[in-house]
Amino acid sequence: MTAFPALLGQRLRRDGVQLVLWTAGTALLASLTYVSVGQAYGTEQSRASILAVVMANPVIMLFRGLPSGAGEGAFMLFLIFPFLALLAALMSSFLAVRHTRGDEEAGRAELVAATRAGRRAPLLATLAHGVLANLVLASLTAVALAATGLAVRGSVVSGLAAGAVGLTFLGVGLVAAQLMRTSSGANSLAVWILMLSFLAAGIGNALGTPSTDLQRIESSWLTWLSPFGWGEQTRPFAEDDVGPIVLCTGFAVLLAAVAVALQSRRDLGASFVPERHGRSEAPATLSSPIGLVARLSRPSIIGWGVGGLVTGILATTLAAVIRDIGADNPALERIMQAIAGGVDMEQGTVVVFFTMLGILAACCAVQTVCRARQEEVHGTAELMLSTPVDRARWLASFMVMAFVGIVVVIGAALVGAAAGLASRNGDWSLLGDVAVTGAGQIAAASVFVVVTAVIFVVAPRLTIPLGWALVLISMVLGLFGPLFGFPDWAVRLSPTGVAPTVTSDGVDVQGLWWLLAAVVAGGALALGLMRRRDLAPAG
Amino acid sequence: MVSVIAVRGLAKHFGRVHALDGLDLDVGEGQIHGFLGPNGSGKSTTTRVLLGLARATSGTVEVFGVDPWREAAALHRRIAYVPGDVSAWPNLSGGETIDFVARLRGVHRHERAYRLERERLMEAFLFDPHKKGRAYSKGNRQKLALIAAFAVPAELYILDEPTSGLDPLMAMVFQHEIARVREGGATVLLSSHILSEVEQLCDVVSIVRAGKVVESGTLADLRHLTRTEVSFAASDASPLASVPDAHDLRVEHGRARFTVDSDRVSSVLPALTALHVEGLRIEPPSLEELFLRHYGDDVAVVDHGGAPRTRREAAAR
Ligand SMILES: Nc1ncnc2c1ncn2[C@@H]1O[C@H](COP(=O)(O)OP(=O)(O)OP(=O)(O)O)[C@@H](O)[C@H]1O
Ligand SMILES: [Mg+2]
Repeated sequence: MTAFPALLGQRLRRDGVQLVLWTAGTALLASLTYVSVGQAYGTEQSRASILAVVMANPVIMLFRGLPSGAGEGAFMLFLIFPFLALLAALMSSFLAVRHTRGDEEAGRAELVAATRAGRRAPLLATLAHGVLANLVLASLTAVALAATGLAVRGSVVSGLAAGAVGLTFLGVGLVAAQLMRTSSGANSLAVWILMLSFLAAGIGNALGTPSTDLQRIESSWLTWLSPFGWGEQTRPFAEDDVGPIVLCTGFAVLLAAVAVALQSRRDLGASFVPERHGRSEAPATLSSPIGLVARLSRPSIIGWGVGGLVTGILATTLAAVIRDIGADNPALERIMQAIAGGVDMEQGTVVVFFTMLGILAACCAVQTVCRARQEEVHGTAELMLSTPVDRARWLASFMVMAFVGIVVVIGAALVGAAAGLASRNGDWSLLGDVAVTGAGQIAAASVFVVVTAVIFVVAPRLTIPLGWALVLISMVLGLFGPLFGFPDWAVRLSPTGVAPTVTSDGVDVQGLWWLLAAVVAGGALALGLMRRRDLAPAG
Repeated sequence: MVSVIAVRGLAKHFGRVHALDGLDLDVGEGQIHGFLGPNGSGKSTTTRVLLGLARATSGTVEVFGVDPWREAAALHRRIAYVPGDVSAWPNLSGGETIDFVARLRGVHRHERAYRLERERLMEAFLFDPHKKGRAYSKGNRQKLALIAAFAVPAELYILDEPTSGLDPLMAMVFQHEIARVREGGATVLLSSHILSEVEQLCDVVSIVRAGKVVESGTLADLRHLTRTEVSFAASDASPLASVPDAHDLRVEHGRARFTVDSDRVSSVLPALTALHVEGLRIEPPSLEELFLRHYGDDVAVVDHGGAPRTRREAAAR
């Protein structure tokens, strides 16, 4: 076991910055929520009335936690706990896969397993690494909450509950990594389980039994199938029950034991879920660079498309709900007005959801363009560019596919929104707003295609970190900027912020021309510069 | 002879690293040209420049008379390439990858000649086209690249260590394919570390060191650059005085030894006959020795008595 400290140290060094971002980000989210809850729902009475609305429209609970009373802390955790736990869970499952199957796939594990470390030490080091990461996340979150003046005990329980959910998904990630052959396969298995349990907790709460004063929900059995549900059952600041934390941890230990057992029964690099055999001849679609890019991006574009569909359905179905809540809650109305800019609450909801949709589409676009960089690093770009394929045409195929991805995501959202409207008994008044905002977001997301492409050409090594960072910044500026009172010019720096939307006096298309100009100029710049660029394979 | 590749004073810098530093290279039509050099000497960088994947920092590069950086895509219609590090798309099967590359190189989907050729190569190389790219071993990835390169006819084959990772049987299949394309009049630039393979296949070799070609010529030419070692039984150095052209004379372990320029061996024979020497041994330089002289800095290990390493060094003395 002498290799253990070295392996753990190597993991901590490799993930250092990333873990700081995940854990501090979670704590920051907790503390920002406290501030905005304080502003929007300052009084116990306003919180109680919101909870009553929630009981009347249980669908809201799909995206919120478990109502446990109108106390300040309890209410705030109702709003934010699932997202704190979600961050911990994503951090943990990615971490687990990265250091086990990821290393194995890259061949690094073989190098390590041939030393004294053996085959088990890397797995145990990953486990310890994940436990440490979740402890840090739990402590930072607890400190962030306690620092706002909330009760210490509740703060600690909240932090531990989020960390415990993280631990469970550390176990899920470790087992998924044993089962699947590739790290992307293991990551998608873990994320699917994560999404399903997230939904199970929400649906279980929505199906639960409200108390007579409409302040508290007794979850249905479905919630008890989900680690997210367990975390919520701690009911921080209301009951501070630590039992579910023990349950999560116990389950995590069980999963870790399963992972160790599986590991000792398989060869290095092998998997329990066998790989499907490929076809021996390429299909007709695989005849051009864009055919290949389509093939490579198809699964992820479908994933983002499903996200778009759900967002679209929510946008129109929740519009009426939010209008009702807003009628009772002037603070919420102010927030919606700030983002959507002086339209009625229903239109406002559509605008807010479609702004989020724009971010979703931008993510899809950035991911697709980043594939060019991955191909370059992996060496497959060299293979393709040694055939009669022009460099610029090669890059262009990624850009075109990214644009297709955007259209798919937004198209799916429009279909979802139409379905949502269809359920409103012939009230199609929002259709125009939906179409205009959706089209506007296509233009906004397209800016990310060309911006990422320009980064790829000019500073290839920065493509992936900078590409994603810009989406994040744009989201903060465009979606939360108005809320946090950022100056107007800052908000309008973000493509999402200038996209054409519906305003009280019609459609504001002025931003559209800017966006289109940016897309054309950026696209020409990227392709023009690509003609003069070397292949830069080294990572 | 028509020149297919003509490189003059090629330099390629990566920041402060001078990967290529004034490299000259000429490959004539129909030649099988061996490209040798130690690790990191710049062979792969040269092939990338020749394909227009990397831009020369300075110097002129012409492939089929055009600048590969400007005309990359058009040139690639005439070129087949096997990269030094073969990587395949992890979620494409081997068969799909081969078809895809072939189609990019202009083959139509139902082209009969291509399909037959593909089948023949897969059989010859014992290649399973069903597996996904990530499941192939190093040798199988290499076969994948070779099949993709040979399945579509080309005028110039640029092969960067094409047999690394192949078993000896597969290396034979490769040599067979080279013989086939040579028959068809194609030109081959073959970078390799396997000297026996180079000796067998190549008409001409160029040796690179630290980004420069330090030697270029036919194998026979190169052999003549070094000295042959002659030795016979003797107790002292007195008989050596009568031998013409002898260098590095010495007596060790009861044998007299000297070296002679390889093209002058016949001229020392009369003197040796006159001396009635016994236990005569004449050792021409092995190919290995030839290359080792160029490969390492520490040539003392292989350097019998300080023969000049290259013609240039000889001239400088
Ligand atoms: N993209 C790059 N960035 C920085 N340095 C590079 C890059 N590509 C190559 N080099 C350097 O250029 C030099 C030549 O490398 P090259 O790959 O051409 O060598 P090689 O002769 O093919 O070696 P080998 O026999 O190991 O394949 C090396 O020192 C290498 O480190
Ligand atoms: Mg090389």
